[in-house]
Amino acid sequence: MSRTVKAMLVGLILFPFAFLLMLSVGRQWPYPALFPQQWSLANWAMVWGGSEGLSNSVAISVLLSTSVAALSTGTSFWVSRHIAYHPKREAWLSMAYLPYVFAPVILAACLQFFFILAGLYGTFGGVLVAQLFITFPYGVIFFSSFWNERLRNMEQLVKTLGGNSRQAYAKVLIPVARGALATCFFQLFLISWFEYGLTNLIGVGKVPTLTIRVFQYVNEANLFLAALASCLLVFPPLLLLWVNRRVVFKG
Amino acid sequence: MQANGAAQFGRFLFVLLSAVPIVAGVGYALLYSLGLTGVMAEGMTGAHWREVLRDAAFWRTIGFSLYVALVSILIALAIALALVLRSPRTFTKGSLSYMIYLPLSIPAIVMAFFIFQLLGKGGWLSRLAHQLGMISALGQFPDWVNDNYGIGIIVAHVVMAAPFFTIFFANLYENERLGDYLHLATTLGAGRRQRIFRVGVPILLRRGLATVFLYFMFVMGSYEIPLLLGSQSVQMVSIRTIQRLQRYNLGDIPEAYAISVAYTVLVVVLLSALLWFNRRQMRPS
Repeated sequence: MSRTVKAMLVGLILFPFAFLLMLSVGRQWPYPALFPQQWSLANWAMVWGGSEGLSNSVAISVLLSTSVAALSTGTSFWVSRHIAYHPKREAWLSMAYLPYVFAPVILAACLQFFFILAGLYGTFGGVLVAQLFITFPYGVIFFSSFWNERLRNMEQLVKTLGGNSRQAYAKVLIPVARGALATCFFQLFLISWFEYGLTNLIGVGKVPTLTIRVFQYVNEANLFLAALASCLLVFPPLLLLWVNRRVVFKG
Repeated sequence: MQANGAAQFGRFLFVLLSAVPIVAGVGYALLYSLGLTGVMAEGMTGAHWREVLRDAAFWRTIGFSLYVALVSILIALAIALALVLRSPRTFTKGSLSYMIYLPLSIPAIVMAFFIFQLLGKGGWLSRLAHQLGMISALGQFPDWVNDNYGIGIIVAHVVMAAPFFTIFFANLYENERLGDYLHLATTLGAGRRQRIFRVGVPILLRRGLATVFLYFMFVMGSYEIPLLLGSQSVQMVSIRTIQRLQRYNLGDIPEAYAISVAYTVLVVVLLSALLWFNRRQMRPS
């Protein structure tokens, strides 16, 4: 590939990030100006200052996505082992694809009634549970190829040497699975972090994550704050991508 | 004994978190659409289903969702295949192999906002066209968002899907040792076109069929992008369902649930077709 084509591709890849950053520090952008007429960090100062509720949304999004990713990764890792070693493994696994038959927002619409019944409608816990319905099966599918005969033998060796299941997990399985656990956590964090439709429907706007904020600002025609919230949404995945670079590349 | 109990509890948890929500959701939607539950329940009736199935707007919605998904995926596939087959190592080694991951960090709602600000009448491209003297007023810029052809929706999905498929095919190219096959084809006298269209593209597409198909379903059921970039006259299926559910008219709710069930049936039929096709491909000839 020629250098010109490569440079064009890099430019195309970086353009959305530069564009959103530009709008997040802009103030007035009358038509047909190509760039905002005023530049200011005042919007960004709002995040640290706590006004507009943006810092609150950052905290809610981080807490929600971290909780969903940690819970789903841990549970799906443990459950996938019992599915993977079952004689009818394929039949069990096909069940994990069921949630993908629905679009998440349609799934949320159909489950609304049950969330109201359980008193989880419009609550942080409700959104967390709803997101588990999408992330947990993904985790099970992710880990299904991890379990193999070699791991089973290692587990049995621990038991032969007098160890119990807990020790097998702590001393063998979890250390061996560290890379896979990190990748799974990273992917599930992103699924939760990017989620809008289901969060909006089950949270009824009372769980204002950053995705909800972006849509709210777009509706208010406040494109500078929408761009700022977009930057806040894009930044953590970029950071995670950089941190997980080696893990992701190995995957 | 203890291990057996843990295994049973593990599988119970699996069913509880994977199958129960879907069965409960579809079951409730089906019962509601048949008039058997809900505030407007009037006893078993097929009226809502008849209304939905006779409504031309419903079929337009299904057709529009299929059209958007098909066009988006075809364009994204063409871009990804062209990039990978032209220069496969660019995306597995060197700086671009890392940079190609960056677009994956953009959520759908942010992508929709970006495309709106880029392609809208008051967007950046319209401003650029004005500065270059191509248009003299905002109104002269074409309708590329909230239009009836779904141009904005398709562009947003292509921008999201093309990097994904590029990474996917670049890895497949390496794993399947496609380079060796292409080299063999050259040795046997194949021209450039034949190498690409008779060897490269068929192998990559056949190997990646399931992923391509799942992405197709994802686009068909997408919500955020058509919510910001779609038009009111032709809607995608998620938008139509949610809008009907959130209207003040309670009479629309059974129809919204009927649309949800009909969409699920369509997805199951398409998935079954994929499984059937995959099995046929795997069968030794």
